[in-house]
Amino acid sequence: MPIPLIGLLLVTPALIIVLLLFIVPLFSSVTGAFDVDGSFGLGNFQKAFELYSSDMIFTVVIVLLSTFLIGLFSIAIGGYLTLGSNPRAVAILRWLYRWPLFVPFIVVGQILRTFLAKNGLMNSMLVEGGILTAAQTVSFLDWRGIVIAFVWKQTPFVTLLLSGAMASLDRSMIESARNLGASRTRILIEIILPQVLPTLLVGLILSFVTMMSVLSVPLMINAQSPTMITASMAFRINAYGDYGVANALGFISLLITSAAAWIYLRQTMKERA
Amino acid sequence: MNAYLEIASTRVRYGEVEVLKGIDLSVGKGEFVALLGSSGCGKTTLLRTIAGFNTPTAGTIRVDGRDVTRQPPDKRGMALVFQSYALWPHMTVDQNIGYGLKLRRMPARDASARVAEMKSLLGLDALGQRKPGALSGGQRQRVALGRALAVNPDILLLDEPLSNLDARIRLTVRHEISALQRRLGITAVHVTHDREEAMVMADRIVILDGGKIAQTGTPQEVYNQPNSDFVAAFMGAENILDVDVVARGDSMEIAAGPHSLRATVHRPGQAAFTGKAIARFRSESIGVADASDDTLGTKSGGLLLKGIVEQVSYPGGLWRHVIHLGDNSVIVDAERRFEQGAQVHLRVPEDRLYIFPAHRA
Repeated sequence: MPIPLIGLLLVTPALIIVLLLFIVPLFSSVTGAFDVDGSFGLGNFQKAFELYSSDMIFTVVIVLLSTFLIGLFSIAIGGYLTLGSNPRAVAILRWLYRWPLFVPFIVVGQILRTFLAKNGLMNSMLVEGGILTAAQTVSFLDWRGIVIAFVWKQTPFVTLLLSGAMASLDRSMIESARNLGASRTRILIEIILPQVLPTLLVGLILSFVTMMSVLSVPLMINAQSPTMITASMAFRINAYGDYGVANALGFISLLITSAAAWIYLRQTMKERA
Repeated sequence: MNAYLEIASTRVRYGEVEVLKGIDLSVGKGEFVALLGSSGCGKTTLLRTIAGFNTPTAGTIRVDGRDVTRQPPDKRGMALVFQSYALWPHMTVDQNIGYGLKLRRMPARDASARVAEMKSLLGLDALGQRKPGALSGGQRQRVALGRALAVNPDILLLDEPLSNLDARIRLTVRHEISALQRRLGITAVHVTHDREEAMVMADRIVILDGGKIAQTGTPQEVYNQPNSDFVAAFMGAENILDVDVVARGDSMEIAAGPHSLRATVHRPGQAAFTGKAIARFRSESIGVADASDDTLGTKSGGLLLKGIVEQVSYPGGLWRHVIHLGDNSVIVDAERRFEQGAQVHLRVPEDRLYIFPAHRA
């Protein structure tokens, strides 16, 4: 048998699996979004926008806000890991910051639900500490809770990538800036950050896509409207068996993540060039 | 000499290892000092300690009488040029050179004038908008130098700045740097492992060995009057003979061996001693003659050796001979060629022969 044919034969099982488990379901979901009672139409999208346009805005705003905060925190943590002058504090932080990576989203939602509720642990501590009175306490179980959960869970992931990139910079670049009198903040912003920006961007985009797909956190923390697209999709299917609108919502969130993926691809292409 | 930079009994340790074991060194204003040594001798550690990147466990560092031992790097009036140049790849040449001025809040117009001055000083005029990635090694090196000089430091510290350059460029950059240093009258401390580089560039050479200063002196002093076996070897006296010596006043008598005649050498600067010794000499300035020719034997002074030519080569200028003296062999350069297998006599002039007590048993 000619060699190219053997090669083709060898990749066939993998190709079939990708085709059956990934391409076909994706395709049927996309076509399902345009399927109105057996014929092509935009009815599902019309309905999706009528009922859930506030959810779409809510989702995009929440995920963008979380992405922004994750960026800030990971720059701060990565910066301290690279520039911190107290070796013990650096070691403790290095050990501590990765923990949330190993906690599933559903558990994060559950932990924060008991922590952030009106009678939750956070408010009890504040009341016990005399900082707030019981009347002043508020529940954080709304959009703020989702943002806190996302940032809590995704910051370590971006920090992991970012601090690796920072650590691989030539130390003498930092020392030469110190030698000329740059403060640590300036070194972080003017010397280190510009050089790790591509890594930060990649980490944030991967986080963005992950957060777009999380169902458990909005279900656990935000039991009200508006909520995230994922929760609306689940509701559409579980409550009404309405796959058409669920598919349309799925297609819309696919468009949003595709925009992020496009930025990601452009970035990796630029790095290779 | 008035000390401008003064390092007193300075010790530095990395964890368990003491890298600098008590360094005393003073550098005059406007002087160019080279710290010379093989890798691991502590020369870069000493430079980084002067710069403020290492804190000594003991000792003090003073600049112009001011104690800077605990001062941060930027409060010492020093600028360091790194071995890797450490240019910031996301900034242009202008931004790299001007960064120190920006940190000092110099008004933008003054700063760009200063950057332009640095560029013309270093021949970088046309390259202001380039990024370091688009520069050659020599150009990067000059940008690093410009960045250090732009802030007008009192002391310029150079950490093997030429070691990443091509051999040919290195030779010209050596002269460029020392000419620039003399023109600006700046005090400079230069770290290198290259003997010739140190000799050509520096006013004074400090040879380090195992975290201690082995010898300090002008290039001529350390070359012609090495004070230890280590320095003699480091300065290129690679030919070794084991000899027995007897002190005779301020002279030493070398006992005759199977391949050498008895000789008396006069040592003005060195205490005479008796016992086993190592004699070292360079391959240059050695008299060579055929054994049948006794012109060498009639001259007095120095050490006369008898050997057989084992190998001849022509590295350029002089003929290089490997000569066997029994089990031992030495390398000797001569103006004419002696054939392989020829019996020859060698005369090492008195002032080219370095004798030190043998520590190696």
